[in-house]
Amino acid sequence: MSHIEIRDMEISFPTPKGRYIAVKDINLSIEKGEIISIIGHSGCGKSTIMNAIGGMLNPTQGTVTVNGKKVNGPGPDRGIVFQNYSLLPWMSVYENIFQAVDAVMTCSKTEKREIVENNLKMVNLYEHRNKLPGQLSGGMKQRVAIARAFAINPSVLLLDEPFGALDALTKGTMHLELLKLWNLDNREKTIIMVTHDIEEAIFLSDRIVVMNDGPASTIREIENVHIPRPRNKLDIVNSLEYKSIRDRLLHLLTNKFSVEDMGIDYKK
Amino acid sequence: METATSIVEESIIKRSIESRTIIKKEVKNENNKPNLFLMKAIEAIKSAAYAALGLGLILVMWTLLCKYTHDELPGPIATLTVLWELIRDPFYDYGPNDKGIGLQLISSLGRVFSGFLMGSLVAIPVGILMGASDISKKIFYPIVQILKPVSPLAWFPIGLVVFKNSETATVFIIFITSLWSTLINTAFGVSSIPEDHKNVAKAFGFSKFRYLTKILIPYSLPHIITGLRLSIGVAWLVIVAGEMLSGGTGIGFFVWDSWNALSLERVISAILIIGTVGLLFDKVFTYFEKKVSYK
Ligand SMILES: Nc1ncnc2c1ncn2[C@@H]1O[C@H](COP(=O)(O)OP(=O)(O)OP(=O)(O)O)[C@@H](O)[C@H]1O
Ligand SMILES: [Mg+2]
Repeated sequence: MSHIEIRDMEISFPTPKGRYIAVKDINLSIEKGEIISIIGHSGCGKSTIMNAIGGMLNPTQGTVTVNGKKVNGPGPDRGIVFQNYSLLPWMSVYENIFQAVDAVMTCSKTEKREIVENNLKMVNLYEHRNKLPGQLSGGMKQRVAIARAFAINPSVLLLDEPFGALDALTKGTMHLELLKLWNLDNREKTIIMVTHDIEEAIFLSDRIVVMNDGPASTIREIENVHIPRPRNKLDIVNSLEYKSIRDRLLHLLTNKFSVEDMGIDYKK
Repeated sequence: METATSIVEESIIKRSIESRTIIKKEVKNENNKPNLFLMKAIEAIKSAAYAALGLGLILVMWTLLCKYTHDELPGPIATLTVLWELIRDPFYDYGPNDKGIGLQLISSLGRVFSGFLMGSLVAIPVGILMGASDISKKIFYPIVQILKPVSPLAWFPIGLVVFKNSETATVFIIFITSLWSTLINTAFGVSSIPEDHKNVAKAFGFSKFRYLTKILIPYSLPHIITGLRLSIGVAWLVIVAGEMLSGGTGIGFFVWDSWNALSLERVISAILIIGTVGLLFDKVFTYFEKKVSYK
């Protein structure tokens, strides 16, 4: 049995105009230690799928199974980084992480503090630990959310556009940190990540799930990334494998028409 | 040769222009701070002037009203003289019917605080329940809707019957008065906790207690304090009327007693004192409101 199994999943939301089907016919098996990216246009239901795996919402049809158990709520085996960071604005950065660790972990207070501090250092926010979320930049907030999800040491990490607000440099560092963490844990953590960044997806993932547009969007295609690990960003961009996957993804995600098709003629 | 000099000239001109603009900027910067200070001072003087204008308007109307009532209503000067006498010796005690204004205030404040405290201790938990659970909202909301519009004075007879004591009955009406605003604001605060914050609690398995102390209360505290501020405002309104009913001591009794003694100077002085105390209440709670609001 795979680590995560999604079977015939459909998720719909009640709206004033009747039920809105966000995603349907989702079937996906994810092995332990896999890194999966979900990619697709805005509104296609990526966060919805993540929430279903995280147990934040229940599928209207079908099932999600994690570790052989049917998901019907969140659990400490799954760490979530929400798309909108979801930090508590009245608590310091430190306290935001500490409350999560304190709620989930069973170790002593000193050990908990150590966990919080290590994770703060990991995302380079130790100096900012006493600031309130309102005093942080978007990228810093995102890093707090990442540290919070990592701190509870879950076997599944659900990252909803975790690096979206980061500059290229910080993003690169965070990619390496993520892989370092994954390696430290003998590559046993399963990581599912939503992203809009094709290069990021190829660099990090074993498989890339491409979604159709909504409503009622389905999985369009799953790309396997066979580039051997450890991967080096500078080297892989020149590999044939990389180029063919990137072209395929670009083809799937880019609309067919060009600027001229929209009736704008720049030659004039 | 010519071109060379012209280039040199140009660069000199450029530099001088640059340096001039830099000087200008510096001057501006230097002026900036005192300017700001001056502007603030002017702003303060302006608002003081407007306040004085308002006060003047009131005084004019007051004087006109005195003329209209053929001096049955005491004028500003007569009133201020009496007010000064009251304030100069606030704590004298010549028996049950003749106490200083300070003593009267203290007994009113005591009633307001004890009624307000008990009311808040009931209203905050019930408000939290109403905001957090649909069922308790369905249970309590109709009761609140029916009882809230009733003048708290209507509870006085019930208080008398239950407690057999007009003193306790007065505290009881303050208790009732203090419930509604706190209840409604607390419930509103709790029910408006954003989904994002609830998600944090859900995703990281917060216990009920952790949710209460780390999310629910911090989020709704500003709303709760707004409720408390409104409640104590109304309680202060009601105590005057309540003490007119119950008699004995208190600022309300003082107003009524002064009216019976036909000392309108004392009535108006009491009005001014009541207003000032109410203003102070408001300021204190506004301060706390600002203090607990997070940014
Ligand atoms: N609670 C809800 N009620 C109604 N509709 C919802 C709800 N949550 C999501 N939807 C709808 O489901 C669809 C998918 O939303 P979702 O947030 O999963 O998109 P997404 O792929 O994560 O987009 P983005 O890339 O912009 O984050 C959208 O059309 C959205 O309007
Ligand atoms: Mg999303």
